[in-house]
Amino acid sequence: MTVVPAASGIRSGPPPWLTSRWTWALLVLAALLVGFAILRGQHSFPDLPEAYQVGPFFDRIYDWVVANRNTSPLFLYGFNYLSVGLGSAVILINQVLTLLGWPGVVVLGVFTAWRVAGPRIAAFALATFLSFGLLGLWSEAMTTLSLIITSVLLALLVGIPLGILAGRSDGFNAAIRPVLDFLQVMPAFAYLMPMLLLFGIGNPAAAVATTIYAIPPAVRITAVGIRGVDPGALEAAASLGSTRWQLLTKVQLPLAKRTVFLAVNQTLMLAVSMVVIASVIGAGGLGDAIFQALNKVNVGQAFEAGLAIVLMAIALDRVTAAAGEGDRGPGAASGRRGLPFMLVGFLATAVAVVVARLAKIAEWPKSWTVSVAEPINQVNDAVQALIGGATSALGTFTLGWVLDPLRTVLTDSPWWLVVLAAAAFGWVLGGWRIALVGGLSILATGLLGVWGLSMDTLSQVLVAALVTVALGFVMGILAARSDVFARILRPVLDAMQTLPPFVYLIPAVALFGIGRIPALAAAVIFALPPVIRLVEDGIRGVSPSATEAALSQGSSRMQLLTKVQLPLARSSLLLAVNQGIMMVLAMVVIGALVGAGALGYGVVFGLAQNQLGLGLTSGLAIVCLGLFLDRLTQSAARQGE
Amino acid sequence: MSSPSTEETERETAESRPKIAVHNLWKIFGKNADSILGTDSENLDHETIRERTGCTVAVRDVSFDVAPGEIFVVMGLSGSGKSTLVRCLTRLIEPTGGQVLLDGEDIGKADAHALRELRRNKIAMVFQHFGLLPNRKVIDNVAYGLEVRGAGKDERYAKARQMIEMVGLSGYEDSRPGQLSGGMQQRVGLARALAVEPEVLLFDEPFSALDPLIRRDMQNEVIRLQRELDVTAVFITHDLSEALKLGDRIAIMRDGELVQMGTPEELVGSPADDYVRDFVADVARTDVLTVSWLMRAPAEGEPLDGPVTAPRTVVRDIVPLLAKGTAPVRVMAGDRLLGVVGRTDVLRIIAEDQEDPEQNDLPATAAPTADADTGPDRATGV
Repeated sequence: MTVVPAASGIRSGPPPWLTSRWTWALLVLAALLVGFAILRGQHSFPDLPEAYQVGPFFDRIYDWVVANRNTSPLFLYGFNYLSVGLGSAVILINQVLTLLGWPGVVVLGVFTAWRVAGPRIAAFALATFLSFGLLGLWSEAMTTLSLIITSVLLALLVGIPLGILAGRSDGFNAAIRPVLDFLQVMPAFAYLMPMLLLFGIGNPAAAVATTIYAIPPAVRITAVGIRGVDPGALEAAASLGSTRWQLLTKVQLPLAKRTVFLAVNQTLMLAVSMVVIASVIGAGGLGDAIFQALNKVNVGQAFEAGLAIVLMAIALDRVTAAAGEGDRGPGAASGRRGLPFMLVGFLATAVAVVVARLAKIAEWPKSWTVSVAEPINQVNDAVQALIGGATSALGTFTLGWVLDPLRTVLTDSPWWLVVLAAAAFGWVLGGWRIALVGGLSILATGLLGVWGLSMDTLSQVLVAALVTVALGFVMGILAARSDVFARILRPVLDAMQTLPPFVYLIPAVALFGIGRIPALAAAVIFALPPVIRLVEDGIRGVSPSATEAALSQGSSRMQLLTKVQLPLARSSLLLAVNQGIMMVLAMVVIGALVGAGALGYGVVFGLAQNQLGLGLTSGLAIVCLGLFLDRLTQSAARQGE
Repeated sequence: MSSPSTEETERETAESRPKIAVHNLWKIFGKNADSILGTDSENLDHETIRERTGCTVAVRDVSFDVAPGEIFVVMGLSGSGKSTLVRCLTRLIEPTGGQVLLDGEDIGKADAHALRELRRNKIAMVFQHFGLLPNRKVIDNVAYGLEVRGAGKDERYAKARQMIEMVGLSGYEDSRPGQLSGGMQQRVGLARALAVEPEVLLFDEPFSALDPLIRRDMQNEVIRLQRELDVTAVFITHDLSEALKLGDRIAIMRDGELVQMGTPEELVGSPADDYVRDFVADVARTDVLTVSWLMRAPAEGEPLDGPVTAPRTVVRDIVPLLAKGTAPVRVMAGDRLLGVVGRTDVLRIIAEDQEDPEQNDLPATAAPTADADTGPDRATGV
């Protein structure tokens, strides 16, 4: 735990407070503040010479791509084909859904949900489908669904074979792991710009971005499943002379089936969240509806589309989760998914389609829609009138006393001092390698030419993370100590974790209007569930014999918490911090859509104005910040073990 | 490759040729394991090799023959390399050096296809943790070996049913392994191994995970099936009583080496070193040693009208005979007098049985059958 190598092991050396990480961290902080006070505003990040600037370089690439998109073989025979192919896949699936009409889709969807997941979830699926129609968002929902289906199929087509390979070959696993790690650290927003460059704006770019975003869990979880297969069963099968293919098809895949279904579920959920974000690069559908509504600060409209996507996410999650658990009892599955049932399902769908055509209601009738946007807006206005003063006061206070000062310290301190401080924190938390990674990744944001925007984003992330961690720890501890609280909290957290991040902006805008504060609020709500959950699990996971022993020696509940439970749950707690910070970062940049500015704005503005230089450098800077925050918190967690 | 003369000798010795012959088998785990063999370092002991190269010697220069129809038991404590050894026999673990011959054919030279054919048809294995496929019904587990070698459904089900009946599990064909007790699961494992009609059965501590009573049933089952089917068996165990009960011959392993190999009687009667002596210390020798082991030429003037017994009788069984009269028991092969065993001879080994535990500071009650997991450990004071 001691960080200073020279001091460790020398008992009569410096007092313990001197070797504590916290002391050193505070010292670094103090040095930063002193530097800020003395050299305020003097050493801002210098402009690189024109030839070495990254932004203009990307702009030149963009110009080249625009000029050569229809002549360069790379595009003519590569990306354009891919783009057209993906676009047609999305359109094809959308057309099938249109052809079925809403009655066909509802019957097919509900029937599938019933067969796979039982009557309760089927009822939920029915309600979900009907809500699409009633809200007047049927065609938007179908566009989103087609995008999801296309990207998930693609992601699984690539991800599951890769996962199988990674599960069976140690070499391949070692090779692919850093790639997956990197992809998972990248916030969703950072994926968008390169896609736009290669595929232009529209559904193909959205499908590729979504696919790439959704591949890592497919690979990772499949590999874990394959590796988790009982080695005894595998050896026994090998001892009877199975070929490698027989081992895969008769032992590994069947035994890893549930985990593979989990991979499908996770892939799907990531795809849902990305498909909504991808509305920024022209993905149509529900995401676009939210995007447009937020642009107009029309909370009611955003709520409608948000509700639709939330219901879709939960329905998809429940159905695929049930598919993985479906085959527990002997023969249970075969009875429910047998051929006759499938025929009945298709027949019912066909009947629904024909009847709908004859009755001329294949398109959801306009008269059947109920707009809740107006009432919601009225409620929102009423709420604003009631507590608007309080929320805006809270917002102004946070802005004036926390966010702005911190941003000023970060942007107005000498840039080299900030880089040094980042490195020093890295050293304190994880040694010289982390120091190097930390210092370099902060330096890189400056080299990319977006120092100011990056520091702005960093200040938002730090504040939101602090709030998230504080709230998350308190709630997690409460949930760990009170079964009642935990039982109330659990379904709420479950639901929150299935929601796409985009949706969190809606209540934040409703409460705080636009600007940095709603982005912070959204980030905090978005990142809270995993933090609470990890803290609770960590404390509940503390060995009961340890708590029993502490209690038998007369510990009070507070002593039990501070002396036994929290120290023993340390690695979970640090993991909670890591997860919380990474999710805050992902959300804070999305907050640009509601006026949070900073790097996220660079991405959005770059996307909207075809300024690839700004968009890509901002995206890369987000990755750098992600790397910095992830490595620092992760190494802290590793030291805790 | 082989000259006519050797072929001839091979044909001549086919009758007495071992089913399995293991020559100088080595298994070293770790990087560059190959570089240790054939150099001086191969003679270093376990710990030194690990310190110098980071490699672990699991099997060290092991050689033995298994005769057709024999049950050959390899016993040792955990970490002695016995499980590695048995896996080397079918190359589930690739040996580092040495030869394994099945019917004179070098298994090490078999290519992937030949090896697979070997595993599909000739050698089957029963595992400590059963290794059943939980998603398959019992009958599909038993039929697995037939399935992978391409047998049709009817054929493999017919055979599997027969095997399930043989191990006494009729009626459970459609159950899943998870619904069966440990003992029943191992019966499935046994049926699966037998279904391919192997010539050699390998058992890797098959009954260690079972309750003592069930273990005894299963041991009897193995003896019965092995006699009925006339297969050759290599049986790995850490339980001495199991080894003595099942083994025609027993090899004792320690740190990857064979310490002693012989019949149960030889091990118990004349342990090769202190390690083996410790091992067998708790065994009631009257239960293992036969009269032919104990007999001596009659002393002068000794009465030769005592009861008669056969040479393979264990000592315990002549105690009642000796209790009835004072004359020594005569060991006769047909009409021929091989030797005699008197009261003092028997009393001497009974006394030794009772002394041993005290000398080793061990509880005198430690019956080897009580608990396989702790029995040998206690005997060696580990």
